[in-house]
Amino acid sequence: MIEFLAASIRIATPLLLAALGGILSERAGVFAVGLEGMMLAGAFAATVGAWACGGAGMGIVLALVGGAAIGLAVAIVAVRFRADNMVTGLAVNILALGLTSYLMRILSGGGQPVSIHLTLLPALPIPGLADIPVIGPLLFTQPPLTYLTIVGCAALTLFLGRTQAGLILRATGENPEAVFASGANPLFVRMFAVVACGAVAGLGGAVLSLQQVGTFTDGMTSGRGYLALAALIVGRWTPWGAAAACLVFGAAEAFELRLQSFGVPVSSYIVQMAPYLIALAVLAGIGRSSRLPAAIGQPLHRES
Amino acid sequence: MSPPAPALPLTAISHFQRFRLRRDGLAGRIALALLLSIGCAAALIALAGHNPLVAFAAIVEGAVGSPHQIGAALNRCTPYLLAGGGVAFCLRAGIINIGAEGQIAMGGAGAAAAAFAFSGAPPVLAILAALTGGVLAGATWAGLATAIHLGRNVHEVLATLLLNFIAILLVQQFLAGPLGQFGAGFLQSPLMPRETWLPRLAGFDAHPGFLIAIVAAAALSFVLWRTPFGFALRVAGSSRRAAAYAGFSLPRLTWGAMLIAGALAGLAGGIEVLGVHRRLIEGFSLGFGFKAVTVALLGAMEPLAVVPAALFVGLLESGSLAMQRQIGVPSALVTVIEGMTMLFVLAATVRRP
Repeated sequence: MIEFLAASIRIATPLLLAALGGILSERAGVFAVGLEGMMLAGAFAATVGAWACGGAGMGIVLALVGGAAIGLAVAIVAVRFRADNMVTGLAVNILALGLTSYLMRILSGGGQPVSIHLTLLPALPIPGLADIPVIGPLLFTQPPLTYLTIVGCAALTLFLGRTQAGLILRATGENPEAVFASGANPLFVRMFAVVACGAVAGLGGAVLSLQQVGTFTDGMTSGRGYLALAALIVGRWTPWGAAAACLVFGAAEAFELRLQSFGVPVSSYIVQMAPYLIALAVLAGIGRSSRLPAAIGQPLHRES
Repeated sequence: MSPPAPALPLTAISHFQRFRLRRDGLAGRIALALLLSIGCAAALIALAGHNPLVAFAAIVEGAVGSPHQIGAALNRCTPYLLAGGGVAFCLRAGIINIGAEGQIAMGGAGAAAAAFAFSGAPPVLAILAALTGGVLAGATWAGLATAIHLGRNVHEVLATLLLNFIAILLVQQFLAGPLGQFGAGFLQSPLMPRETWLPRLAGFDAHPGFLIAIVAAAALSFVLWRTPFGFALRVAGSSRRAAAYAGFSLPRLTWGAMLIAGALAGLAGGIEVLGVHRRLIEGFSLGFGFKAVTVALLGAMEPLAVVPAALFVGLLESGSLAMQRQIGVPSALVTVIEGMTMLFVLAATVRRP
């Protein structure tokens, strides 16, 4: 059972980081369809950084930069040039997929992707807390980026709910004109939020490559960015809600892996559908009194 | 005469993403965007230590160097043209349909199911039945997205996007069950019955899909520019309020555009299955759906202009493997070009208020 829960947490971690980034972006009023590309760029940059510099630290820094670069592309095209958010997100997802595969092959100097094998970031038990039964092994015997994710979730909640900057960010997603009237620049807020979203989602990609797989493979995020998007919808654009949704999605995937090993005759494909079905159900259920940020996806005019 | 009531509550109208391009100097803007992305690609090729011109020549050579290659390239263009035309049609009405991927997947499954059901029928009839199966399955899937979108007020991008994943898993489920080939080792159906195979032009390897797609593009253009329905679509695309005020039913327009797009994507899936693979394969629709949006944008949402856009993307993809084989520039470059082109076209053409 503990093993099952641990697997759920492990699967949920990269999703949650991406979802946290997505919350920043969507609460500021920009749809976060580009999460997939941001994660992929982060996973790639982390792998190459850790490989080239021989340490995970550089990998993590580069993951932030790589994700933020994709975020910047979204910010320029979707916010500055007022293109449609969703289609821009798709575009950067295609771009990130191509660019990371291309660069992996260029790095090897030949037609094959460069082969990189990293040692995974080890679990760091927190002295004292790790000895608590059940909770200890689950929450306090985790690799470093998992702790960072939990802290990030709390930090984002505080940021959005309790700080001036968080208030301005949320207001930009609800009523950019009011933000403008208050003296802040909603265009800048949105661009900043999207770049920050890229950095955080890039870190989510780094969790995959540094903590779970140890290398980069083409398109290794395989839809996790979209899953994170579903999670933040299910979590109704709040960090803890997204965390709960990611854990449920993680549990579904862990459950599916169990089913395979026990040979239970329940289709794993149907189980894999669960996150998307839940997201659709939540969206359909809240459609009438939608909690989507009011100004999401609406372009900002020059005068505002 | 009383002014007609808006067909949708105002909140729903504001939820529609109005997707409009600046249409003045459009061709020039798109050409500029294309040039920029090709310039970026050239820089990436140079980064890899190769001559960009040699690489581009290898792509062209690989795409149209021999009759066989031309045929393969046209086959490659077909799904982009069909699905991209449908996406463009929706975009024209301000509906962002990114569900082509799932609609193609379901279309392939529908065509395969119909092909097995009609095995033994005379070839023309069997092919027609199988393709009809694909069309119906694709339209059904688009209809499901539309029902969720309109009925529950879910943004159409989210509805179509989430249904993509469900469709792909559903096709895998079919392949693991009733449609699958037992013991194949991976998820695929048995070979389609021979009478449902699309004929191939001898020595040329092209199936008639490309011709069907051209006819479909022409038909879309006719509907868009010469029928009341097309007029209503164009009005709705440039102003939802104007369309509602003129008494056009926005839900009906949405249903119409989405069902047409779904049917075309389903047809694309059926043609892939019957004409190229001759069986249903896991992941055969991978990437077609999203790149259909690239094609629609590159074609300025104009059904006939989607033809050269689909040719560009299809030829690029079909020639890229030759480039990788001959001079060692990774074929992933093509995906970079597609993503870049989409970004640049978006930045260069979207209408500024």
